[in-house]
Amino acid sequence: MDRLLLLLPTTTYRTEDFLAAARTLGVDLVCASERPNTLEAHLPDSFLTLDFAEPDRAAAVVADFSRTHPVRAVVGVDDLTSVAAAAIAERLGLTSSGVAAVKTARDKHQMRECLAAAGLPIPRYRRIALKDDPYLAARGVAFPCVLKPLTLSASRGVMRANNVDQFMAAFRRIAALLARDDVSVSGDGAQFLLAEAFIPGIEVALEGLLMGGKLHTLALFDKPDPLDGPFFEETLFVTPSRLPADVQARIGEATADACAALGLAEGPVHAELRVNAQGPWVLEIAPRSIGGLCSRTLRFGTGMTLEELILRHALGRPIASLDREQRAAGVMMIPIPRAGRLRAVHGEAAARAVAGIEDVTITAHREQELVPLPEGWQYLGFIFARGESPGAVEAALRDAHARLSFEID
Amino acid sequence: MSEELRGKVQELIDTMINPAIAGHGGFVDLVDVQDNRVYLQMGGGCQGCGAADVTLKSGIERLIKDELPEVTEVLDTTDHASGTNPYYTPGKG
Repeated sequence: MDRLLLLLPTTTYRTEDFLAAARTLGVDLVCASERPNTLEAHLPDSFLTLDFAEPDRAAAVVADFSRTHPVRAVVGVDDLTSVAAAAIAERLGLTSSGVAAVKTARDKHQMRECLAAAGLPIPRYRRIALKDDPYLAARGVAFPCVLKPLTLSASRGVMRANNVDQFMAAFRRIAALLARDDVSVSGDGAQFLLAEAFIPGIEVALEGLLMGGKLHTLALFDKPDPLDGPFFEETLFVTPSRLPADVQARIGEATADACAALGLAEGPVHAELRVNAQGPWVLEIAPRSIGGLCSRTLRFGTGMTLEELILRHALGRPIASLDREQRAAGVMMIPIPRAGRLRAVHGEAAARAVAGIEDVTITAHREQELVPLPEGWQYLGFIFARGESPGAVEAALRDAHARLSFEID
Repeated sequence: MSEELRGKVQELIDTMINPAIAGHGGFVDLVDVQDNRVYLQMGGGCQGCGAADVTLKSGIERLIKDELPEVTEVLDTTDHASGTNPYYTPGKG
């Protein structure tokens, strides 16, 4: 039986879906987290504790483990684990992009350096040290601009600045965010931020799978809610895209070119791009699959999940089809409207009753302390819909969301 | 048969599983055993925990099946959404 090593941070949303896929495939599963599982002492063959922030050390631990428990594939389920997964795969000779390419993609500044060198369309950018004077730093950028941490995801810490005052406020806010206990960054990620030109236009997300260096587009999501700042909270993702076919093709080409420039060759990729009259602009190329529970919108072939598809690729098993189902699908990541403690959720049954709504999953727990963007990194939950058209899906998601109310104080 | 199996599962929970997961403020209760399927409910720090699935499927189920091969599946009946003090709260990295 194939042994699969899943790198599962203790706080990831992705656990349930990857475990379900592993069960479907009937693999011998080993779960690695950054903290010991309470049952690890009883089941040392099933659990590993790995420091994801130290990829070489993690690779050494797994290499030792694999001498007695040969591992057929390793998959990191999100950003926190992507470099460690690549390092482990490289050490064991397993299917993965190279660790250097994944490291480059994980650092927004290094990624832009690489994409700029390849002549790809990206915003003008500048890396700024957090120890620098923000007023002087602001004088070196054009407005409007976007400030962001180098390594955080989910729009955490991403802020628009239209002038020097807003720049200084955003600068200080990012510095404070990176100092928080619940933020785990080190190296350049803890010492610098990125300032880049704000690109007007619409935003899309491309979900892809790299196989032997070739990008296969699995889904292109429109983001119907405008993302113009001051923060960049992602809410609605709807697929298929309503953009003209030629524009979609150019988005696919830009993403493939970016992956090639970075040296990414195997495994899932989640790309974010802006699109305007000048064409697509690459904002992010993440060597991982879509975050949160959003992958539940995707079904391939005769019903395969995205996670099963990713695991099949890593294990070298056949994939019957990379074609997404014909129906439109979408998800709303329910935003946290304000800081406070979640006391109650109302309207779930009414939201589920909306035509086209498949599920409403509230992931925040009662009494949870909620932190909105730009400091937060969580959602209240997720709403899923399917329908005959992207417009119908979007309307269902908005209707369902309007029926929910949250008591926060 | 079910009663005998139920007793063995309960003993495993009491002697091995609950003492281990108590370290994170969690516990499991045996709800039922039907047709060699074990139904559990997780509580305390396990209820709503981001790692509950891993603990149940890769930990608890494996332990039970190792000790009691006649068990075919371990199923979670927990209402995780109602957990108010999960040990790990999920979020996007």
